[in-house]
Amino acid sequence: MPVLETHGVTVTFGGNVALDDVSIAVRPGEVTGLIGPNGAGKTTLFNVITGMQPVTSGGVRFQDRDVTRWSPGRRGRAGMARTFQRLELFLSLSVRDNVRVAGDIVRSNTRRRFDVAARTEQVLARTGLLDVADLDVSALPTGRARVVEVARALMTEPVLLLLDEPASGQTESESETFAELLLEIAGAGTAVCLVEHDLPLVMQTCTTIHVLDHGRLIASGTPAEVQASPAVIEAYIGQEATA
Amino acid sequence: MDTFLTYTALGLVVGAIYAIAASGLVLTYTTSGIFNFAHGAQAMIGAFTFYQARVVWELPTWLALVVVLGVLGPGMGWLLHTLIMRRLRDTEIVTRVVVTVAVLLGLVSLSQWVWNPQEGRVPPMLFGADSTVDLLGVTLRYHQVLCVVIAAAIAVALWWLFNRTRIGVLMRAAVDDPELLKLSGHDPDRISASAWMIGSTLAVLAGVLVTPVMGGTLEANALTLLVVDAFAAALFGRLRSIPLTFVGAVVLGLGSTYLVGYAPAEWTWVGNFQRALPMVVLFVVLLLLPHERLRGTATRSRERYQTPPLPRAALWAVACVIGLVAFGGLISEARVGTLLVGLSFAVIALSVVLLTGYAGELNLAPLGFAAVATLVAYHVGSDATAADPRLSLTGLVAGVAVAAITGALVALPALRLRGLYLALATLAFSGIVSAMLLRDTTPRTLFGHTFVIFPNGNILMPPLEVGPLDLADATTFLWVLSTLFATLGLGVVALRNSSYGRRLAAMKDSPAAAAMLGQRLMVLKLGVFALSTGIAGLGGIFMSMAVVSVSAETFGFTVSLSLVMLTVVCGIGYVSGALVAGLIAGAGITSLQLVLGDIALTHPEYRDTFDIVHHLLLVATALVGIGVANGPSGFLHDVFERQRGLARVPFVRWGGAAVQVALLLAAYAGLLGPALLLFVSVVLWSLLPAVATAWAPDRARPLPLELEGITTPNTLALRQRIDRELRIETEAGHARA
Ligand SMILES: Nc1ncnc2c1ncn2[C@@H]1O[C@H](COP(=O)(O)OP(=O)(O)OP(=O)(O)O)[C@@H](O)[C@H]1O
Ligand SMILES: [Mg+2]
Repeated sequence: MPVLETHGVTVTFGGNVALDDVSIAVRPGEVTGLIGPNGAGKTTLFNVITGMQPVTSGGVRFQDRDVTRWSPGRRGRAGMARTFQRLELFLSLSVRDNVRVAGDIVRSNTRRRFDVAARTEQVLARTGLLDVADLDVSALPTGRARVVEVARALMTEPVLLLLDEPASGQTESESETFAELLLEIAGAGTAVCLVEHDLPLVMQTCTTIHVLDHGRLIASGTPAEVQASPAVIEAYIGQEATA
Repeated sequence: MDTFLTYTALGLVVGAIYAIAASGLVLTYTTSGIFNFAHGAQAMIGAFTFYQARVVWELPTWLALVVVLGVLGPGMGWLLHTLIMRRLRDTEIVTRVVVTVAVLLGLVSLSQWVWNPQEGRVPPMLFGADSTVDLLGVTLRYHQVLCVVIAAAIAVALWWLFNRTRIGVLMRAAVDDPELLKLSGHDPDRISASAWMIGSTLAVLAGVLVTPVMGGTLEANALTLLVVDAFAAALFGRLRSIPLTFVGAVVLGLGSTYLVGYAPAEWTWVGNFQRALPMVVLFVVLLLLPHERLRGTATRSRERYQTPPLPRAALWAVACVIGLVAFGGLISEARVGTLLVGLSFAVIALSVVLLTGYAGELNLAPLGFAAVATLVAYHVGSDATAADPRLSLTGLVAGVAVAAITGALVALPALRLRGLYLALATLAFSGIVSAMLLRDTTPRTLFGHTFVIFPNGNILMPPLEVGPLDLADATTFLWVLSTLFATLGLGVVALRNSSYGRRLAAMKDSPAAAAMLGQRLMVLKLGVFALSTGIAGLGGIFMSMAVVSVSAETFGFTVSLSLVMLTVVCGIGYVSGALVAGLIAGAGITSLQLVLGDIALTHPEYRDTFDIVHHLLLVATALVGIGVANGPSGFLHDVFERQRGLARVPFVRWGGAAVQVALLLAAYAGLLGPALLLFVSVVLWSLLPAVATAWAPDRARPLPLELEGITTPNTLALRQRIDRELRIETEAGHARA
């Protein structure tokens, strides 16, 4: 049973079609990949899913409810969390407070009481950020700053976690640790949707992969199926040829 | 029927003037992304200059018009763009607002320097008052007809400019994507400069036309507030559409004349309401505007503030109270009064730190809320018939509560929108307060009580008395007020270090990320706005007690704007920023004027020189505000950065403290006066870092920029620094430009 489904999502900017009739599903307990060349519409699809971009047509279902008209905040409270490709960190706060404030927000929204400080330390430890916890976030290299965004999202204990290029800027060893973290998060039952250009990471972690090109869904399937798809090969080689 | 036609014609004339002013505002905003708060002030300068040329110099009308519209308008626009606005790309809304506000204040003080506000100046109508024409039975003056004709011509010309000319199309593109313009071989700067020149000229034109239509004499403040009226009209077109702006202007114009024409005679408040109409309409339109979409802002703000940990803040709070009371003991009772005014301004400025420094929202009229709190406290908490009245604690509490509630009500319509709209809503609110409440001098009956809201336009605020504390005594007042400031300051720091403060910071730094985490942004904004207006109200009541005799001028919008500007200049993220800003705004300028006045009395031959110094002082304050574009963190931030070096050599710091105490004792012994004490202390603390460096030189040499990021980590902060030092325009900058 998928946690998230999009139905025929179409988004146009002026005459420019950014998404064209895209339907995907994301299931709990696994990592779902969303790949495609630059400008394919991946971030736009995330914006649609989280309510930051209205659809031209189509709809979004989350946990069996139609959330197409919901505000981003309402979707967040219902269990969606995301990271941003162009980092949206809280630059006046330390790394620890960036993570902690997510807990503060959750706590201010629910009657359920929990120890925000303790959960913060757990999440920092789990994401390997303890050694930099007291630094200003702006003092972090990009690779680790992206992990702070992941940690911040994890504080909300999300049902659905949307990651927009979380591994770009990471070193090879960092990205290996990151792959383990991803599998662990999904293993705990969270539905993870991963946008990433680092294909080895995608192949290693994802159960299902959706491929977008020019706003259109050109393939969906297991890593093996997707890698064998002629349309995908074409899209990627076409991109290389023009690059 | 005839009267209806007359009111309609007059309404169209007023609407035409609003339209001229508003279209200039829209033009500069759409092309440069900067909302020009000084638009009305420019109109004001235009009106005065035209009067000067036409009446004082007795130039022929056409020549006077050439001077004003051909030289002054475009020249002012070009100067503003070249000297100031060009540098505002890549800055935060707070910085942009403060810079144009500083221009506004500079123009107002300049005009009061050149044109003595005590003199009444009745500007002439173009073609004189006697040239009239009859249209459908309505007699109109040429001047009035001309207003409508000009507005119509401008409407056509702007439509043609934007839709049919190359430069107009480019102007629209300039704000959306300056990079693209550059690529296609155009200079975004030149395009934006022409927009500023046209915008200024339209402002000046509106200024020349408006006063003869509205009647009365030239009033610098009223003309300056034309920006709010123009904004109300521009809001109909969401600050973008020129045609809708014209519709808005006509609605406002007709509304105001119909209101006066058809309201029942027993509605005595209508005259005042008419003045406030554009501001009221502004609120209504704000309510009707659709919700704005959240988008990633990726703010790369240049400001950084360190909030001290609570124990250190507590230490400073104690030092602050002791220092203030000790200094109070050195000066005469009259000067203590001035110090008290400064301190109550500091409390008001604290509300600005909380709202703007911590939460990133703007309130341009803290004194408007101070006025509301004062009126409520006065009516609830004092017995005006008593011989020696006192204010009760109930009055104080009621005043603060009503200020907070009013704050929430004012913020409500603008919460869903950009920060700029909230800032403008507060300015409009202050306009409503001064046009309606502070002019309401006729008796009214409410719930069976008959009272006058603002008796004789002036009230004597009685001092607070709570149990054994009686603020009629200046020393007690100083103790209470400095303790109040220190406690509130400490509270604000504690708040910043709490869960609530972190959520405010999150909302300020990235509304998109905060909302995605589930934060209800509107609830948070509403709460912090009410809290801060409550604090402004509290400070306002104390200010009224310190000033004793308050009038509408006490709460004027220029006072509010100066205070907000000075707080940003000093350091919007710091409690000490509020203290210094409050003392400068409330006490510093007054005391300097007192000191200068004393010298002028003993040496009358220097009177003129001091007069110039006095005016220069006001203009210079505005210039400092314009400088905010270069150091948005405020000057105290730099001071703290330098003082931080002292931590390495503790005994220099303690030595400094010892010398400071010695100076204070010397002052008590009569060896040096209070002014000298202040001066020597400032010199002492600014020299200490240099002493510390001389004592223990800092061995760490800064790494050359080209080696940064190779051996040191390649961080966001570093990349921002590189962008800045190499003047690379960042993506984020464009997104906001
Ligand atoms: N706000 C917007 N206005 C106009 N066009 C937009 C907007 N946002 C995205 N687009 C366009 O939509 C298309 C898809 O963009 P999107 O950012 O979703 O791509 P992406 O797959 O995330 O690419 P990348 O891998 O570079 O991040 C692009 O052509 C982009 O220019
Ligand atoms: Mg993307």
